[in-house]
Amino acid sequence: MALLEVKDLRTSFYTRDGIVRAVDGVSFSLDKGETLGIVGESGSGKSVTCYSLMRLIPEPPGRIDGGTAMFDGQDLLTMSKKELRKIRGRRISMIFQDPMTSLNPFLRISTQLIESLRLHYDVDKKTAINKAIAALEEVGIPEAAKRVHNYPHEFSGGMRQRVMIAMALITEPDLLIADEPTTALDVTVQAQIMDIIKKRQEDLGTAVILITHDLGVVAGTCDKVNVMYGGRMMESGTAEQVFYEAKHPYTRSLQKTIPSLQTKGEELYTIPGLPPDVSKPIHGCAFYPRCPYPKTGKPEGDRPSLVEMADGHCYADCGFCDSSAPIETVLPKSDSPDEVEQAGAAE
Amino acid sequence: MSEHVEPAVPVDPKNDFLVLDDVHTHFDMGKTLLTRESKGVVKAVDGVTLTVKEGEILGLVGESGCGKSTLSRTVMQLIRPTSGRIFLEGKELSALSDTEIRKERINFQMIFQDPYASLNPRMTVLDTLSEAIRTRHPNVKGDALRSRVAELLRTVGLNPNQMKRYPHEFSGGQRQRVAIARALAPEPKLIIADEPVSALDVSIQSQILNLLKRLTREMGLTMIFISHDLSVVRYIADRIAVMYLGRILELGEASDVVDHPLHIYTRALMSAIPRPDPTSEKTRSRIVLQGDPPSPMNPPEGCNFWPRSPIEHDERMKHEEPVLTEIRPNHFATNCPFCVQAAAETVPA
Repeated sequence: MALLEVKDLRTSFYTRDGIVRAVDGVSFSLDKGETLGIVGESGSGKSVTCYSLMRLIPEPPGRIDGGTAMFDGQDLLTMSKKELRKIRGRRISMIFQDPMTSLNPFLRISTQLIESLRLHYDVDKKTAINKAIAALEEVGIPEAAKRVHNYPHEFSGGMRQRVMIAMALITEPDLLIADEPTTALDVTVQAQIMDIIKKRQEDLGTAVILITHDLGVVAGTCDKVNVMYGGRMMESGTAEQVFYEAKHPYTRSLQKTIPSLQTKGEELYTIPGLPPDVSKPIHGCAFYPRCPYPKTGKPEGDRPSLVEMADGHCYADCGFCDSSAPIETVLPKSDSPDEVEQAGAAE
Repeated sequence: MSEHVEPAVPVDPKNDFLVLDDVHTHFDMGKTLLTRESKGVVKAVDGVTLTVKEGEILGLVGESGCGKSTLSRTVMQLIRPTSGRIFLEGKELSALSDTEIRKERINFQMIFQDPYASLNPRMTVLDTLSEAIRTRHPNVKGDALRSRVAELLRTVGLNPNQMKRYPHEFSGGQRQRVAIARALAPEPKLIIADEPVSALDVSIQSQILNLLKRLTREMGLTMIFISHDLSVVRYIADRIAVMYLGRILELGEASDVVDHPLHIYTRALMSAIPRPDPTSEKTRSRIVLQGDPPSPMNPPEGCNFWPRSPIEHDERMKHEEPVLTEIRPNHFATNCPFCVQAAAETVPA
């Protein structure tokens, strides 16, 4: 049985300006020890998906409209607050993007590190502190015994993110959700942080959900990848399937925008237009207005659902575009992205 | 190494467009309250010699805290250098008074990382751009001014009928375009872009990079482009300078620095960039640097990279300061035998 099985998750925000369908029917599953990458641009719904699983959506205006999230036989979306508290921080932990705002600046690191330990397990303070020191050593903080009593501002950005990881893993959770854990950090520190997460995962057999917009980070760490766009999954499969046999035009366009893949001197490929406005109903394929592939018609009606192509490799096929064409030949020379953006903004 | 070292990077303040001659920017941390002992000095920029040619894009790369932002603010004269001289078109900026520098600053403008913080939320795009245009043309009014604003907006790929909007009505990418328009408005010769794409999504990032590159070519601008991401800099820059703890470790043509890096630090920076290829990414060996850069308040003596270098340095290089030397034609690196030798031996990744 899968550790986490999410089926048809829907989360909306009910605002004065209308209903924003941030997550609009997302399903995936995750086994013990596996790493799942969720990739997408800002506003694609990747963070809201994970916040929904942790029930961290502010209600109101947010509301989980439907779906199930079975974690080890229990539905995270319907369980009581009391039951949820036993799981949050103990069996599922989360690392947030910005380590400065997610640590309490008034409390010593030690206080914050042992809080979840003391809450969930029957340990005295001294044992807990010793565990905290061991956890800091594990993530590579020098002089951990001394630094455990420091305040967050006494650490650098990379160090703070390491403290966050130590804090998330101190209860040895079954599932770790990392929301853009390295986006605010330098590349060198990013490499260190990803190594730490990988190593701890191997030691403890933790399953990881990694949310990011960086396809490079996903390639090195994830077993499975979900590509999200406009609140839905566009493509999912193993990392190899999504990187080498990408089917969906959006996945292929996203890969094409990575600067390191392009030859020097050539103009960078850009996806024309803007991501869809999820506060308005989307008909047909959400990516249709920006899709660079030749089409035989305009998709109408319901949004296409995920179809399994090969072993575990799914993609949302609208049926109108020929995504088998090699991307180099179909992409228009990107000399007019500005005008398309204008058109998108003027609407 | 001899007692007196010739400047390795030749500078010619008369003819070069922008010259930084041995620039130091230090911050005095003040004295302790009772004992009046000095709390120390942060050497954010510690002896940088650079020239930028007219029409060139110079990429400045380094980790956070390496002094790249301080260097850019020193060039802007927002922070005055502690020592050293800065020349723009033969005029010594570092010798001008505050009033004179304010007049001169219309010739060099800056684009900041965060387009949310760098635009005034209470001013419409029209107000923001008009103000910037009138720093150079104080007498332009009415329709003439309006048409200049419209032209600027078109240049950066925005619709002129959006000029009455406020910054919050734009997306992040559009806001960065407004910030670029504001920098272009006084018709500057030099633009300093400090991490202009770091806060943006990948797909928007490439739009802004294309725009900046196109504008520098079309308008004959010179640009210093600051970033911590070598893959972005490789794309946009003609030459790259790699900075570490306030000093330049490597300097050369972009293709030379990226394809044939001399310094082990440059190589480590490149190997840290994740590649969008699962097979090679899971198998390749990387140079992972340990820890964070040391504090610039108490930088290590000698070759300042030795505490983090994967190659053990000998006692001499832990004390003697290496100099930026021309190792290959137009390709400079510090002459620390351990850092540079090590880079040559590592198999190209």
